[in-house]
Amino acid sequence: MHYELALLHNYLIVGAMLFCIGLVGFISRRNMIVMFLSAEMMLQGVSLSLVAFSRTHNDFGGQILVVFIIAVAACEAAVALALVQVLFARRKSLDITLWHQLREADQPPFQDQPLAEPLPEKPQWPRLPPAGVQPVPPTEITDYRPDV
Amino acid sequence: MFDIALLLPLIPALPLAAAIIIGALGPWLLRNRSHLPAVAAIGLSCALSLLLLWSVHRETTASAGQYSPWATHTAGDAAGRYPKSPPRDRPNAAGTVGFERIVCLWTWAVVDRAGVARAGLPAGDVPPDEPAAFAPDSATDSAMARPAFSIQIALRADPLTAVMLATVTLVSLVVAVYSIGYMHGDPGYWRFFAYISLFVFSMTMLVSASNFILLYVFWEAVGLCSYLLIGFWYQKPEAAAAGKKAFIVNRVGDFGFALGVFLLWTTYGTLDFHDGVLPGILGQARLSGAVPFVGGATATAICLLLMLGACGKSAQFPLHVWLPDAMEGPTPVSALIHAATMVTAGVYMVARCTPLYLASAEAQQVVAVIGGATALMAAMIAITQTDLKRILAYSTISQLGYMFLALGAGTLVGVTAGMFHLFTHAFFKALLFLGAGSVMHAMGGVIDIRRFGGLRHVMPITHWTFLVGCLGLAGVFPLAGFWSKDPILAALHERAATGSAGSLYSGLYLAGMLGAALTAFYTFRAFFATFYGPLRTPPEAGHHAHESPPSMTGPLLVLAVATAVVGAAFGPTHLFDRFLADTPSLAYANRLAEHAAVAAVGNAAPASLATPAVPAAHAAHDAHTVIALLSQAVVLAGIALAALVYLGRVIEAERLAAVLDRAKLYTLSYRKMFWDEIYQALIVWPTWIAAKLSADFDRLAIDKLVDLCGWLPKLLGSALRPLQNGLVQYYALAMVVGLLLLLGTLLW
Repeated sequence: MHYELALLHNYLIVGAMLFCIGLVGFISRRNMIVMFLSAEMMLQGVSLSLVAFSRTHNDFGGQILVVFIIAVAACEAAVALALVQVLFARRKSLDITLWHQLREADQPPFQDQPLAEPLPEKPQWPRLPPAGVQPVPPTEITDYRPDV
Repeated sequence: MFDIALLLPLIPALPLAAAIIIGALGPWLLRNRSHLPAVAAIGLSCALSLLLLWSVHRETTASAGQYSPWATHTAGDAAGRYPKSPPRDRPNAAGTVGFERIVCLWTWAVVDRAGVARAGLPAGDVPPDEPAAFAPDSATDSAMARPAFSIQIALRADPLTAVMLATVTLVSLVVAVYSIGYMHGDPGYWRFFAYISLFVFSMTMLVSASNFILLYVFWEAVGLCSYLLIGFWYQKPEAAAAGKKAFIVNRVGDFGFALGVFLLWTTYGTLDFHDGVLPGILGQARLSGAVPFVGGATATAICLLLMLGACGKSAQFPLHVWLPDAMEGPTPVSALIHAATMVTAGVYMVARCTPLYLASAEAQQVVAVIGGATALMAAMIAITQTDLKRILAYSTISQLGYMFLALGAGTLVGVTAGMFHLFTHAFFKALLFLGAGSVMHAMGGVIDIRRFGGLRHVMPITHWTFLVGCLGLAGVFPLAGFWSKDPILAALHERAATGSAGSLYSGLYLAGMLGAALTAFYTFRAFFATFYGPLRTPPEAGHHAHESPPSMTGPLLVLAVATAVVGAAFGPTHLFDRFLADTPSLAYANRLAEHAAVAAVGNAAPASLATPAVPAAHAAHDAHTVIALLSQAVVLAGIALAALVYLGRVIEAERLAAVLDRAKLYTLSYRKMFWDEIYQALIVWPTWIAAKLSADFDRLAIDKLVDLCGWLPKLLGSALRPLQNGLVQYYALAMVVGLLLLLGTLLW
C-alpha cells in the first residue's frame, strides 16, 4: 500500500512538473508553435496524473479518459497547426503578440519594447596563469574527443 | 308586434355595427360610400326609436286609460328581467310609480360580498319578488348580509328614455344626411362616419342605461367621440388643442361624477336604477315609498358631485370653457354633439336623478343658480362674439343653462319644462348650426360675421331656414323655443311664489327673463349681420357664392319644419308633459308634491297650492299668460334692438359698444368674461410651473443619481480594462492567477 502511494506520489510530482513547465512555457514564449507545444505539455501532465490515479484506484475510467484525451489532442494538434499555418500566412511571423485585435477598444495596442542595448564587451584582459609561469598560448584543438 | 325587449337593444346595436363596418371596410372598400352604412343604421335606429316611443306611449296610456299624474298600472307593465331567470311579471298590488321596462341583456361582472353589510338583504341570492320584502325591519331577513357588486348590461324603456332616444336618433339621422354633402371629398370621410356611428351608439346606450356604471361608461364614450370629432382635422393645431381642452375639462367633471357614483354605491349598496337584490336607487321600491331615500348631507354631496359631472358634460358655469373651442370640429359635429345631443347628457342625468335632488333642497338651489348664472353669462358673451359658430356655441351654453334652471326648480313642471326645452333645442340649435355650416361651406370656410353679409339672395334656403331657427331660439310665439322657454320661466315663477327660498328663485326668474332678451338680441345680430345689408363675400368664397347642395338644404328644411311644428304640437297640448310624467323618477316627483300639498292644507284640494303637474298647470295657465306676454315683449324688444343696430343701422354698433364699454361691459363680453385668462392664471400656469419644477428636479437630481449608478461600474471597469489588451498570454496569466487564488483560498 505504501509502495503504491509512493509510486502515485512520484507520478503526481512528474505530472505537476510537466504541467508547470507547460504553463510557464505557454505564458512566457511568443512563438505560437512553442506555445502550442507547451499547452500539449500541460495536457500530458494532467493525463499522467489521471493515469496514475487510475492505476492506484484500479479504476480504468481514468485510463479510458486519457485515451480520449490523446485522440482529442491529436485532432486539436491538426486544427491548431492549421490555424497557426494560416496565421503565419497572414503575418509572415509566428509571433503571438502580432495578434491583439480582440483588446478593449480604448486600450493601446501591444508594442514590442525595443531590445536593450547589448552590454559593452568587456575588455579582454590577458589571463594570467597561477603565478610566475610563462603563459602558453592555447593550442588549437584539432580533433575533439569527448572523453578528454 | 315589436316587443320593447327586442327594440331596445337593437337601437344602439345598429349604429355600433355600422361603426365597426365602416371602421373595418371604410379605408379600402367603402371610401366615399362610407356614409351608406351609417345613414342606413342611424335611419333604422331612428325608425325603431319612434316605434319604441309609440310602444311606450301605448303602454302608458293603455293601462291608465287617461292621464293620471301618479299613474297606477296594471300587472305586467313593469316586467323586469333578471339574469338567469325567466322573464316574469311583478304583481304590483302596491302600484308601480310610472312606467318602466328593464331589459337585462347579461351580467357583465359580479363581485360577491363587495359592499358593506346591510340589513334587508335576503339570505339567498334569489331576487325578491315583492318590493315589500325590501323592508329593513322585515323579520325574515334580519340577518346582515353583504351585497354583491354586479354590473348588468341592463337597458330601460320609460318615457324619458324613449323621448331621448327619439330625439338623438332623429337629429343624428338629419345630421348624418347633411354630412354627406358637407364632408364630401374630405380625406377622412370614412373616419367621420365611423365616429358618428360610434357616437350614436354611445349616446343611445347612455340614455337607455339602467345603472350608473353603464351610464358612466357611455358618458365617457360620448366624451371620447366628442374628443375624436373635435380633433377630426387633427393636423390643424387649433383643432388638436381644442380636442385636448374639451377632454381635460371634461375629466374634471367626470372626476366629480365618478366620486358621486362611488358615494351612491357606499350609500345605497347598489348602482342599479331598477330594483334588484337590493332596492334600486331609482327603483319602484324607493319611488313607491317602501324604502326611503337617503337624505341630509349625503344626499347633498351626491347631488353636487353628480352636478359637477353634468357641469363638465353640459358645459355649465365653471366648466363651460371647452364648448366654444369645440367649434373647431366639423360643423355637423357641432350641430349633433355639441348642441343637440351629447351636451344634453348632463340635463338628462339630472332629470333622471330627480328623486335624489328632491331629497336635497340645497342641491336643487345650486343646480338652479348654476343654470341661471350660465344662462345669463353665456348670453352676455354671445352678444359680442364675431365667430358665427362661437355665437351659437355660447347660445348652446346659455340654453343648457336654462335647462338646468328648470331642473333646479325641483318641480315636475320644471323638470318636464327642462326636458321639453332639451327636446326643442335639439331641433332649432341643430338647424342653426347646420345653417351656419351651410354659410361656412359657401364662404369657403370663413365663419367670421364681419367678413360677409347680405347673403339672403345668394342662399335663399339657408336664409329662410336660419330665420326659422333664430325665431325658434329667440322664443318667438308660435315656434318651438317659445313653447319650451315659457314653461321654464313659469315653473320658476311658480317655484318663487310657492316654495322655499322664494327670493332666490325670483332672482333666477328675472335672470331668465333678461337672458331671453339677450338671446333674441344676439341671435338676430348674427342673423342680420349674415344675411342682410349689402352683399359681401370673402375672397376665400371664390367668384360666386352659391347655395349648398340638396343633401345639405334638405336636412335644413326638415329641421326648420320640425322647429316650427314640435313646439306647437307638444307644448300647448301637454302631450310631452303628460307622456314624460309617466317616467318613474318624474312620477315620484309628482307624488311627493302631492303628498306635500296634502300635508300642507290638510285635505283641501291639492291643485290650489302645489306644484304639481298638468292639471294644476291648466289651472295656473292664466297666470302663465302674463309671463308669456312678458317674455314675448322682452324677446321682441331684443329683436327690435338688433334690427335697429344691425339692419336699420339707426344706432351705430360702435357707439353702442363704446357706451357699454364705459363700464367695461363690452370688453368683458368680448373677452368672454376672461374665463380663459382666469383658468390660464389659476390652473394652467401653476400646473406649468409645477411641471417645470418637476422636470428640473427630474433632470438635475434624479437623472444625476441614475447617472451616478451608471458611472460607478464604469469607473470600476476602467480599472480592470487594461487587462483586456488582446494578448492571449495575459489572459492565460489571469487564469493562472485566478486558479492560484482559488487554490489558495481552498487550501488556506
